[in-house]
Amino acid sequence: MAVETPVSAGTSVPAAPVARGGRVRRRNAGWLFILPFLLVFAAFLVAPLVYAGYLSLWTKGLATGTTFAGIDNYTRAFGDPSFRKGLWFVLRFSVVVIPLQIVVALVAALLLDEITGRLARFSRLMIFLPYAIPAVLGALMWGFLYSPTFGPIEQIASFFDVRAPFLLSQGNVYYGLLNVVTWQWSGYYMIIIYAALKGIDSSIYEAARIDGATARQIALRVKVPMVGSALALILVFSLIGTLQFFSEPQILRPIANGSITPDFTPNIYAYELAFNYAQFNYASAISFALGFVVFVAVAIFMVVTRKRGSLFT
Amino acid sequence: MRFRTTLSVVAPVVLALGLAGCGGWDDSSSGSGGTAAKATNCTNKIVHEDAKKVLVWAWYPNMAKVVDNFNNQHTDVQACWTNAGQGQPEYAKFQTAISAKKGAPDVIMLEADQLVGFEIQDALVDLAPYGANEVKKNFSDGAWKDVSQGDKVFAAPVDGGPMALIYRADIFEKYGIKTPPKTWDEYAADAKKVKDAGGPVFGDFGSNVPAVTTALMIQKGAQPFVYNLADKKNLTVKLDDQATKDVLDYWGTLSKQGLVGKEDQFTTDYIAGMVGGKYATYVSAAWAPGYLTGAGVGNGKDKGKFAVAPLPQWDASKPVSVNWGGSAFAVTSQTADKAAAAKVALGLYADDASLKDGWQTQTIFPLNQSVLKSDDFLNAKIEFFDGQTVNKDIYVPAENAYKGAVYSPFTVYYYAQLQAQIAKINQGGTTGSQAATDLQAQIVNYAKQQGFSVQ
Amino acid sequence: MTRPRHVWAKLLLLALCCYFLVPVWWVVVASTKNAEGLFSGSGALWFHGFHLFDNLHALFTFNNGEYLRWLGNSALYAFAGGLGCTVVSVLAGYGFAKFRFRGRNLVFALVLGSVMVPLTALVIPTFVLMSKVGLIDTIWAVILPSLLSPFAVYLMRVYAGASIPDELLDAARIDGAGELRTFWRVALPLMRPGVVTVALLSIVATWNNFFLPLTMLSSSKLYPLTVGIGLWEQLASSNNGGGQSLWNLIIIGSLVSIIPLIIAFLTLQKYWQGGLSVGSLK
Repeated sequence: MAVETPVSAGTSVPAAPVARGGRVRRRNAGWLFILPFLLVFAAFLVAPLVYAGYLSLWTKGLATGTTFAGIDNYTRAFGDPSFRKGLWFVLRFSVVVIPLQIVVALVAALLLDEITGRLARFSRLMIFLPYAIPAVLGALMWGFLYSPTFGPIEQIASFFDVRAPFLLSQGNVYYGLLNVVTWQWSGYYMIIIYAALKGIDSSIYEAARIDGATARQIALRVKVPMVGSALALILVFSLIGTLQFFSEPQILRPIANGSITPDFTPNIYAYELAFNYAQFNYASAISFALGFVVFVAVAIFMVVTRKRGSLFT
Repeated sequence: MRFRTTLSVVAPVVLALGLAGCGGWDDSSSGSGGTAAKATNCTNKIVHEDAKKVLVWAWYPNMAKVVDNFNNQHTDVQACWTNAGQGQPEYAKFQTAISAKKGAPDVIMLEADQLVGFEIQDALVDLAPYGANEVKKNFSDGAWKDVSQGDKVFAAPVDGGPMALIYRADIFEKYGIKTPPKTWDEYAADAKKVKDAGGPVFGDFGSNVPAVTTALMIQKGAQPFVYNLADKKNLTVKLDDQATKDVLDYWGTLSKQGLVGKEDQFTTDYIAGMVGGKYATYVSAAWAPGYLTGAGVGNGKDKGKFAVAPLPQWDASKPVSVNWGGSAFAVTSQTADKAAAAKVALGLYADDASLKDGWQTQTIFPLNQSVLKSDDFLNAKIEFFDGQTVNKDIYVPAENAYKGAVYSPFTVYYYAQLQAQIAKINQGGTTGSQAATDLQAQIVNYAKQQGFSVQ
Repeated sequence: MTRPRHVWAKLLLLALCCYFLVPVWWVVVASTKNAEGLFSGSGALWFHGFHLFDNLHALFTFNNGEYLRWLGNSALYAFAGGLGCTVVSVLAGYGFAKFRFRGRNLVFALVLGSVMVPLTALVIPTFVLMSKVGLIDTIWAVILPSLLSPFAVYLMRVYAGASIPDELLDAARIDGAGELRTFWRVALPLMRPGVVTVALLSIVATWNNFFLPLTMLSSSKLYPLTVGIGLWEQLASSNNGGGQSLWNLIIIGSLVSIIPLIIAFLTLQKYWQGGLSVGSLK
């Protein structure tokens, strides 16, 4: 982490008027750099978001028309058993899957940072590859891999003469999904941590080694803290992403024999409402309600890790 | 700098509200008005460039041929076709376009059970003033009823799915079943016989085919919905009558006793099961053989082992014919030229060449009487069934006896709830009767929420 | 003395590799099977006949070669959208990390806050907004929204903050370089691993994007591979008809679609060697 030069360092530049002018010019340049992003952000995130929020204040019945509902949709959303059920699932899923993914990613990244050679290069690609596999293939792929008829799990189990568990059954779907998500996403997070590790100046390791630190100690005491910002970032976005869990369960629905219901997660519920039941207004309210829960969760996270002030720096 | 921050926040808000205010979103129940998508980016070639182009969304596997046939035969209108999705994904796109009042096609392929849901949003055009009644004679009463609301006709039928019982002749022979069951009582008895002798399950009570279960409920005399578009706000829901309870109990018992499978259909596992003879029968529709053949069933070690019999009845003296699936072409209200679109909707897949290709490649079971009455079709020896003349013996009579069904304005929602109930039955969490009662309560509740006056 | 220590590390890495490899192996093996082989009940992880070239042939000729068209579309979207996103995000990340302007934290917090509402809520409004400007069912409907990635901006902010010492920037400014020049000559090379990572992740994300093109496009001519294969999946699941089993095509189509991503990965990975060393400061 670079040491942030305090603003006052600007005064170390000789002439005071130049310093002030330079600082202002620098600040304006800051706006210019973020301008392209702000434009797309405004057009494709803020505008639709406000629109969706506006729509969530109305309600539509198939037989009646659209009427103004105020916050009725929201009171209904928070009391909706489907919403609550989905929320409960993503909460208890997050608690396990996030640490799991991050630990796997971190371990892999640290290993890859340490080891060089063909194994390392091959592993890097292999661990990344799951992220590259298109989700549309997921249903087919896991359909075969989890299949009680011809999956490898079934073959291994029959070898031991045991009945293989169907990992997407009512009782096991939690674990079945845990596996799919960890497999799919660990590589993604690993790449991010790896890149952060590669940005560290290796002379720091030299200093530590001279002091007698082992490789493991260097990894845990030097490397991990130095990628702390990247880790915090991944944790927050993993939290947001998992609470908004959608793709994997939605894709696996056709092969889960009914254990993944239309209200399995709040995001799936919102999707069904909007696209299949033609209830877009209520779907918006559900989405915003979910957004609120995510906000609370992230806020709690930031307080707990004391990153309230300067997130990610 | 404060100004800049404020600006970056306020500007998009103003933009969004401005667009909202411009009436970009009108979610009123009137889906009429709005502009259809332009007929460009066709997957097919346009034959007559100066004719009126009509945008068509359809997913028939042989659609390319069908469209070419139509375009070659017409000089005044040309179909511009694209595959916008199959089934539910296409409906979702259509719904989005309706809500946004933009982007719908001129002509759209819809399954019969989805029509009412779009009719109630005024998203479809009545084809009666555009010559629909001229083709009425080409279809059975049931087929026509499915696409009509009183005198109004909202789609031109193309294909259907009269139901019958596909079975494995070799398994029947092995376990001593001389003739296929004619009644459901016989079916249950046969199932037990096969199971007791150590054979495979007799059929499958899949939760993801709620249309089948609904058809079977209707077969026993249930009338789940009564709805008339002319009387928009009134809806009758009857899902907890004795017939429904009986049917759900019947299948629930079979499932509980392990006499039928519990797996979802249309999955790779199910196909593997069909190939491996895991299911002795398959309660299905006339398009099933085509689906199974395409999926690789009946090609390997299971070649020539399938046969088909009429669907078992509750009362053999009063047979009732039911239908699963089938689709039609409707004209959307966003279209700029209703007459041209209607011409396409009524003419597509209605010519001999297309229909012949459709049934010969086992893509569809055509509803057009010109096919159903033709010798070619009736006498066709179907390879999947080892040469049985299934059309003449089973499917055509079933189609001609079909009386049509009434669908609710929220078919997708209803199917989803029924699916959940069946899954629950299969998991042992509820009984058939209880499921029917719960389903009734859920649907009535939903209907009331949507503003219907429910009887 | 290093060798024995690395043995455990290598074993662990190997184990991880196997875990991630199994499903990939399935894809490779399955793509050599024909329809009968897939459903014959033979092991999912071992071969059953070798029909790879038949499958490839069917893949590229099915329906007048629509796969190749979809491949071209995916390449266009990933190139324009993915690279565009990288450019936008790198600039923004650098701006957020290295400039202290009023309102920076507020805007940053707003960006974070706005990703908390799931994208499902935004799909239809985006559709409406796009249709108002007549861009629905065009390539722009896919490319333009792909430029937006708050996560990439965050990532770049972290990387920029971590890898660019302010002293270097100040040194360049004192030498009279303008902001853009400073960015191009000094900052960018230092951020290389970060930029490459974001580029890779953006390209993969755009290449594999399913939901956005699904909503914005209805002409199958414009579909990227994901939506196209999804279409085949729908066809395969219900009414196959016409003889060709689509399951094979889906598997081999997916395998072929990964290859460009592997190429991108292998090409970009050499840029992960760290940026210019800090020694250039003095």
